[in-house]
Amino acid sequence: MFIGQKIVCLLGVLLVALPAVGQDMNTPEEMAGTGYFRDQDTLPGAFRFYSQLPGGEGGLWGLGPDRQKISRSSFKMDAHEGVDDFSPELRCQKCHGLQIKDLHGLRMGIACVQCHRNQPVAGIYHYYSSLNPIRRHAYVCAKCHEGATPSFASYMVHEPNPIAPEARTTFPLLYYSIWFMLILAVGVFLFFLPYTAFWWLREFAAKLKGGQDHD
Amino acid sequence: MTEQRNRLKRFSAIHRLWHLGLILLFMTLSVTGIAWMYFETPWGRGLANLFGGYSGTLEIHRIVGLVLLAGFTLHILYLVHRIDWSNFPRSLFGPETLVFQWIDVKGFFNHLGWIFGFNKQPRFDRWSWWEKFDYWAVWWGLIIVGVTGLMLYNPVLTSDYMPGWMLNVALWVHRIEAVLAMGHIFTIHFTVEHWRPSSFPFNAAMFDGTMDLQEAKHEHPNWVARLEAEGRLADAIVPPPPVPLRIFYFLFGYSIILLGLFLLVFAIINATLLTLF
Ligand code: HEC
Ligand code: HEC
Ligand code: HEC
Repeated sequence: MFIGQKIVCLLGVLLVALPAVGQDMNTPEEMAGTGYFRDQDTLPGAFRFYSQLPGGEGGLWGLGPDRQKISRSSFKMDAHEGVDDFSPELRCQKCHGLQIKDLHGLRMGIACVQCHRNQPVAGIYHYYSSLNPIRRHAYVCAKCHEGATPSFASYMVHEPNPIAPEARTTFPLLYYSIWFMLILAVGVFLFFLPYTAFWWLREFAAKLKGGQDHD
Repeated sequence: MTEQRNRLKRFSAIHRLWHLGLILLFMTLSVTGIAWMYFETPWGRGLANLFGGYSGTLEIHRIVGLVLLAGFTLHILYLVHRIDWSNFPRSLFGPETLVFQWIDVKGFFNHLGWIFGFNKQPRFDRWSWWEKFDYWAVWWGLIIVGVTGLMLYNPVLTSDYMPGWMLNVALWVHRIEAVLAMGHIFTIHFTVEHWRPSSFPFNAAMFDGTMDLQEAKHEHPNWVARLEAEGRLADAIVPPPPVPLRIFYFLFGYSIILLGLFLLVFAIINATLLTLF
């Protein structure tokens, strides 16, 4: 009886612990990493980079990214637990429309699992998730970006559409600076393209009349 | 050919060198930058392959960017050296400098009025308002693209001094300013300098440093008049550059123009294949 209980207990502990061990298993991509990151993220000041996620004040007068909606799956060990139509065979692209639009995937052909690790894909803030902000820089970014710090890892890999109204709350600085630049650029073209066209026509007309363009 | 004999000196060798350096660096940055921006499209990948794939492309882009910033710094030092400090704030103004003045505001409105037939063509001095604008636009562009480019040069180092998410902002600002600069050069600058009926097909002033006197009397009448009044006109008349050199300038200029148009046209055609957000 007693032994039976102990075995059940042990099994229980293993059941809880094993997935965590699984999360730490090395994938081939990881083993190819530099494994190098700097000590300074153990310094006191480094902590503010951890505290900005999730939710908190975004830093720099609150202009930084601020995830408004943290889904429940963000804290799950298996983010797809309870997602009915999910199966590991499906391509991530099928369901995550926004996340395929980042430059790592589009330009460098980096696969989702190189950052999100193998199945089961952990929620971003699960305690053991390699993408948890407390270790994201070392476990994920430093594989390819030597010396990555927590500050570096606060780069938004899947940035929001900067001109969409939502970005005003989810990433204010991105929203305002991109709108400013767009208005500047569009303004320059809206002014100069017609200006140059009319100018060209004016000279052309003068040429037709016979070069009397001082009138 | 007879009218070619009277040519007015307009740009010194050093002016032309700045412009030539800017052309070469700007075009290299344009090609490599567009190759990187369009890397997800076959066209962009093809461009990047010319520079050894994406890593070579980025490497060249970064190094040439640094060279351009170094050149910009040198240019500022050159200006500091050129400014007449004994007359300081006053020496910045007057018809020979590129500093915007009240007369440029008037020049702008008169030019606009002339285009729409309300008044006579304004009588520009050495620099018209758009020539000054073109000069300062490089400053504004280089400052924006230079600061963000330096931030992206080494993203890990940059994030020691500011939060890493500033790189999201830097990349977008860099992109938009670069598109603005290229779009402006490949459409407006080329049209104004080379394709206006009065300068078609090619205005070589910035390459050979001279301008046809007749044309100068027409485009910059107050400049010629001022040179004449100051008795400096005769000294400013120079012989036309040798024909082989002129052919070379033309071929060089047009290969750059065609490269710009190639980038412009294919960037527009491929824009639909681009995933931005
Ligand atoms: C069948 C559709 C489907 C497929 C295929 C799929 N996912 Fe998901 N994924 C979801 C859903 C639904 C959620 C839960 C979203 C929520 O809670 O808002 C989710 C959540 C996530 C999360 C957690 C999000 C968070 O806020 O922390 C991550 C990370 C994730 N998926 C990555 C992946 C990766 C990597 C793949 C490919 C291996 C993948 N997904 C394939 C549907 C899918
Ligand atoms: C370069 C590393 C990297 C790659 C590659 C990557 N992700 Fe992510 N992903 C992250 C990081 C970091 C986060 C945390 C939030 C952020 O920075 O945007 C995240 C967050 C997510 C989330 C949570 C919701 C969100 O947008 O914040 C989902 C879902 C997700 N990724 C899916 C994917 C899918 C699907 C792919 C493949 C197409 C992918 N990721 C590729 C690093 C990566
Ligand atoms: C599998 C390798 C890999 C991983 C993992 C990875 N990156 Fe990258 N990253 C790249 C490559 C390749 C580039 C583009 C080449 C370059 O900029 O030199 C890049 C570029 C970048 C850039 C510069 C963008 C630009 O336009 O110059 C930033 C910022 C960045 N990554 C952030 C991150 C962050 C934050 C993480 C961790 C969440 C991460 N990366 C994880 C490979 C990776």
